[in-house]
Amino acid sequence: MSTTHTGGRTRSYGGQKRARLRNTLFAVWGAIVFVFLFTPIAVIVAYSFNSGRVLARWSGFGFGAYVNAVNNDIIVSSVVTSLQAAVGAALLSTILGTVGGIALARARGGAWWALGLTGVLVFTLVTPEIVDGIAFLPWFVTLGVDAGLTPFSNGMVRLVVSHAMFSMAIVTFIVRARMAGVDTSLEEAAGDLGASPWQAFRDVTLPIAAPGVLAGALMSFTLSLDNTILSSFVQQPGYTPWPVYIFASVRVALRPEVAAMSTIMLLLTLFALGVVGYVLRRSGSSSTEIIKTMAG
Amino acid sequence: MRRLAARVLGPGALAFPTWAYVVFFFVVPVSLVLFYSFGHKPDEYTTVATDQLSFDRYGEVFSGAVLSTLLASLRISIVGTLLCLAISIPFTYWLATKVSPERRGLMLALVMVPFWTNFLVRTLGWQIMLSPDGFLSDWMQALGVLAAPLDILYTRSAVQIGVVYNYLPLMILPLFVAMDTAGVRLREASYDLGAGRISTFFRVTMPLAMPGVISGCVLVFVPLTGDYITASVLGGASGSMIGQIIANQFNTAQNWALGSAMAVSLMAVTLLVVAVAGLLLWAGRALFHRLTRVQLEGVPA
Amino acid sequence: MSERMSILAPRQVIRRLGAGGGLGGGFSRRGLLAGAGAAGLGLLAGCQTGDRVATSPQADGRLESMLNVYSWGDYDDPDVLDAWSGAHGVKLQVDAYGSNEELIAKLAAARGTSGYDVVVPTGLRVPDMAEHGLIQKLDLSLIPNIEHMDPNFLGQDFDPHNDYSVCKAWGTTGFVYDTTVVDRELTSWQDFIDVAQAEADGTTMLLEDPWELVSIALGALGYDLNTVDEKELDEAAEIVVEQLAPTARAYLGNANTAMAQGGFVLMQAYNGDARQGIMEAEDPDRWKFVFPTPTANLWMDNWCLATGAPNPDAAHAFIDYIIGPDQALAQVDYIGYHTGSSVLADPAVEDEFDYPEIVFPPQEVLDRLVASEFNSGQQRRVEIFTDAQARSGA
Repeated sequence: MSTTHTGGRTRSYGGQKRARLRNTLFAVWGAIVFVFLFTPIAVIVAYSFNSGRVLARWSGFGFGAYVNAVNNDIIVSSVVTSLQAAVGAALLSTILGTVGGIALARARGGAWWALGLTGVLVFTLVTPEIVDGIAFLPWFVTLGVDAGLTPFSNGMVRLVVSHAMFSMAIVTFIVRARMAGVDTSLEEAAGDLGASPWQAFRDVTLPIAAPGVLAGALMSFTLSLDNTILSSFVQQPGYTPWPVYIFASVRVALRPEVAAMSTIMLLLTLFALGVVGYVLRRSGSSSTEIIKTMAG
Repeated sequence: MRRLAARVLGPGALAFPTWAYVVFFFVVPVSLVLFYSFGHKPDEYTTVATDQLSFDRYGEVFSGAVLSTLLASLRISIVGTLLCLAISIPFTYWLATKVSPERRGLMLALVMVPFWTNFLVRTLGWQIMLSPDGFLSDWMQALGVLAAPLDILYTRSAVQIGVVYNYLPLMILPLFVAMDTAGVRLREASYDLGAGRISTFFRVTMPLAMPGVISGCVLVFVPLTGDYITASVLGGASGSMIGQIIANQFNTAQNWALGSAMAVSLMAVTLLVVAVAGLLLWAGRALFHRLTRVQLEGVPA
Repeated sequence: MSERMSILAPRQVIRRLGAGGGLGGGFSRRGLLAGAGAAGLGLLAGCQTGDRVATSPQADGRLESMLNVYSWGDYDDPDVLDAWSGAHGVKLQVDAYGSNEELIAKLAAARGTSGYDVVVPTGLRVPDMAEHGLIQKLDLSLIPNIEHMDPNFLGQDFDPHNDYSVCKAWGTTGFVYDTTVVDRELTSWQDFIDVAQAEADGTTMLLEDPWELVSIALGALGYDLNTVDEKELDEAAEIVVEQLAPTARAYLGNANTAMAQGGFVLMQAYNGDARQGIMEAEDPDRWKFVFPTPTANLWMDNWCLATGAPNPDAAHAFIDYIIGPDQALAQVDYIGYHTGSSVLADPAVEDEFDYPEIVFPPQEVLDRLVASEFNSGQQRRVEIFTDAQARSGA
């Protein structure tokens, strides 16, 4: 199959010339967009080798920032906090989003609970993050202090719960999209063959949903790792996540260590993404499909 | 017995945990914010009191300083969304139609890399680049492009660049998916039926990509309107956004009543803009269909 | 006797620190609460019925393996911290806050379960934090190095017997300007306002703090910086919103950041931040720091022990170490603020630092400073601040 349609029609010589020009222009635009997307990241990577004390003031090349970053307990523990919260939030939102997504895909048209759930989830998506943040803060205080549910005074619980809320709608919709075209007769067949509902769910439904679940989990993990606004509101002593640490140091004086740690994390993320992509590719999905699943 | 179990474990019951979570951690807290917004701040030592409920806080929001910042934020977010769209349409069209499928995956992954990089760190990259004493400014002066140091940081333009950058991947992804769905075959069919390139783009590709355009615009517009981080890193005095003022009410002024009223207003205005845009789009499409309707000979309209 | 000696202000001058100290707001380093100290206290007040506070473990002479410090961002020399934690095998976790209100809100909400051991509030907040049980008494017998503190910085009005607090650092507010653009000699807040509308139009940085912002206008008008008089505040609002706000390029918490980025001619600044910025500038002589007349803020931050601190032994040992004479020079050099150590009373010490005149304000400056207060005018100051920001964006 031809990948472009340029050859699809007979053209005059002039038309071919114009088509070539047009393709070149498109390619140039693509290149410009990529340059735009990568320049700030390249700047951060470059400045992570700044040997000076203030990030923005270049004073020489050196690896000092990397040494300082990995030896700085505060930076390391904030990164660890972020990673833990991201794993927790991804697990929680993936579980809830998967059952929610499957349920929505299985709902009969017009079921009140399905319409309601879809509506509320859409509402969570269109709520500005800052509104979530200020809604969570007093609620956690009420739960933790007034109602005596002390876990809600724990910084990690707060981060996981709020981040999971934030990304649950996305997981739900991805899983629903994945399950939408799948016939329920597969599960029924499993039932007829003697499988219990749980077995049918585990052995038939889940494997079908798996690519959507994985994409949702990945999305949820990233959103949590990147979350600044929500975290800065619900954050508790001792559980300062990495983006909140950076935001706090923006107010004071930004050091090259922040760029160094960011570069390390960027490399790790790229590596993790590569592994996920490789696994998915081996399991038969094309990368375009993977991205399409993620984008819902 | 199995039937009963299947019914109990039916989709409605399966959705229960998700429902419960959303109600407990979204509906209830957001309703609390709504409730607080009718309260007041009685003294320096109390953040909110709800003994007397009134709309006074909304009066404060929709007057003077706060309103002008809200409008400025809306301008930034509407312009930002349109810029993202303008950048993404040719880009995703190129990606979906001109790039070979084997390389498309890699390219899409590349688009996502900034998205996987910390939001703040990306913004800080811009701060370094745009600063008047930064390398970009020095280079441009050395090359003679600029006579004076770069004067963008801490202006509204800097915020505009920053938000377009930060939210661009959110526009590109859904738009690509939609453009890709539109597919090569439909376009070829359109050519075969004699439609020109431009005509095909507007009458086949774009209408099919419309769901992507809509979800992209919503995905960009909503978080952008509430964003305050880009503005606090790049905005300075003239580029401040409503999110910063709301955050200040909670972090500094400790006036939860006013802060809640601002937050509720922000949400209402955001939804209003989305609704108005949806309406305009719907009307525009109806008009477009009317104007471009193909009247086939011998077939009643 | 050197000029340095004169810094040792008569007790009563420094005393005034007791009346106030921080101010702060927003994202600034030390702010008064914008109407707010309140989050915390409000919470406390709201839950008076269940106002139980977790019991505090007693110091038992054995150093714990952990220590949690909650302080202003980047407020200690990391080498000093590492040296202590390495020597004692204690894992030291330092978290940062941006205003006293943020600190108070967190401690109050947690009622003794915050997990923090050492906190660093500004003086004006120490009495109410003690009263509301957010901080507990120090065991001074575990802090022998208090001997090495300059008596001028002990026994402040907010804590006359140092039951709850030991001086961490003190400083004042002024401004920095670019002498290549402004060739006049600037001395007062009125000069600041004039230059902001002339040479520095569009290149002025103001502190992101309601109290400090309004104090520029109050200072220029000759009013009490802590005034609660509505007419005086209205006059100040007029100046801030109509004269300063339109010329402001940014509201930031730290002048050092502004100097690193460039593009600013005039910056309102805390003395220590200004010194850091000047030291790191490519062309330090270009910048000049001013202790403006007629007056400005004088604040003191303090080491305190949080109620319910899980690691009291480590906390006392840490405070004792960090105020010790051996650490004083490193700390002052890093943060750029006077720490109150008696080591700094030695005139020879000046030679150890760059720009000592910024770290150690001369006596006549100390004489005219006032400490910021948390009072009923704060809400109005926050409004002025919000209006100014909106005006700048218009």
